[in-house]
Amino acid sequence: MNAPDRYERFVVPEGTKKVSYERDTKIINAASFIIEREEHTIGNILRMQLHLDENVLFAGYKLPHPLQYKIIVRIHTTSQSSPMQAYNVAINDLDKELDHLRTAFEDEIANHSSAREY
Amino acid sequence: MEERSYQRKPVVKIREMKDDYMKFELRNTDASVANALRRVMIAEVPTVAIDLVEIEVNSSVLNDEFIAHRLGLIPLTSERAMSMRFSRDCDACDGDGQCEYCSVEFHLRAKCVVDQTLDVTSKDLLSSDHTVVPVDFNEIAGDETSEQKGVMIVKLRRGQELRLRAIARKGIGKDHAKWSPAATVTFMYEPEININEDMMARLSLEDKQSIVESSPTKVFDIDPTTQQVVVVDAEAYTYDDEVIKKLESMGKTGLIDIKAKEDSFIFTVETTGAVKASQLVLNAIEILKQKLDAVRLSDDTVEADDQFGELGAHMRGG
Repeated sequence: MNAPDRYERFVVPEGTKKVSYERDTKIINAASFIIEREEHTIGNILRMQLHLDENVLFAGYKLPHPLQYKIIVRIHTTSQSSPMQAYNVAINDLDKELDHLRTAFEDEIANHSSAREY
Repeated sequence: MEERSYQRKPVVKIREMKDDYMKFELRNTDASVANALRRVMIAEVPTVAIDLVEIEVNSSVLNDEFIAHRLGLIPLTSERAMSMRFSRDCDACDGDGQCEYCSVEFHLRAKCVVDQTLDVTSKDLLSSDHTVVPVDFNEIAGDETSEQKGVMIVKLRRGQELRLRAIARKGIGKDHAKWSPAATVTFMYEPEININEDMMARLSLEDKQSIVESSPTKVFDIDPTTQQVVVVDAEAYTYDDEVIKKLESMGKTGLIDIKAKEDSFIFTVETTGAVKASQLVLNAIEILKQKLDAVRLSDDTVEADDQFGELGAHMRGG
């Protein structure tokens, strides 16, 4: 009766932004990013990628409630960088890593198929 | 700004590849990426499945919604799915979600006129687009196997009839499991098994046999020539610690050391036939890239103020 519709898990409603952020007023170089209609798939890879960044002091994500389909990613950085910068760098690196994975995969499929001709 | 890159360079090696099954190794990447790939393969790679059914005549023993449910679960060949639009995003159709860009029409007409039971299967489902048809399960070379008839929908007796029109649309597994192209997708950490040969040589043959037998899966065996315990199939190890516990009970801790390699994964991908196994993985990578792209910060990403009350109080020093 109170269950949300299934499409709520991935359809961002009109007027809601997919990503937004809130700076922390008390801690410098800290911000929380609210990503709508995403869950562990994106949250975990973003968080693990942020951990690799030397300028990131803290990176974590949570789902505030399993029936509210959004994640909050919290990032603290040193003064050498900013949370927004760290966030963008992490996404770009992940994008490049997936590109690399895709070409590696396509090459491997081609090799495997041609090797199997014999 | 200096160029900072914390990018990893993953490496893939395919072990086995069939149309609907694939086993491959993925190295030099994090567990989060492997898991994200798995999650996307199961829930977010789009497929085409029947979503709307208009029944004209149904005098079978199954009621209308029962048959409609079964029709939805029939896997349809979905190569077109990645280039199709979702019905909700389609502006070409007149709002009822049935146009050539976003949907495929099917119809089924069956009437039993003979005394024997008529089997209505997925082979009786006729498509308006020859690239989107029910999956043909003719993998097995046998002649009279049940797979040749397609997926069973309903059985009709003499006089019973079924006539319907169905619309298939693009969707993802997150919405309903009928749209999931994956049968099973699993990955495991590659195990690294080290046997301390000196300590092993000092054991009796019965002790060695009991060690080999303690594992529920056949990981170890006694080499016939050297009478030593050897690893016969490291990947059969399911990370139950039965061998470790057996060694501890024998007092020989440290004889066998098993570690999981943190950045080496063995994937097993099995599909329903809607998409080829290799194509499923490629689509999953593509979808994951699209999701990351949607989540990027752009110049017009605003700072939320009052929108998220739960963060508001402590963040604003309240």
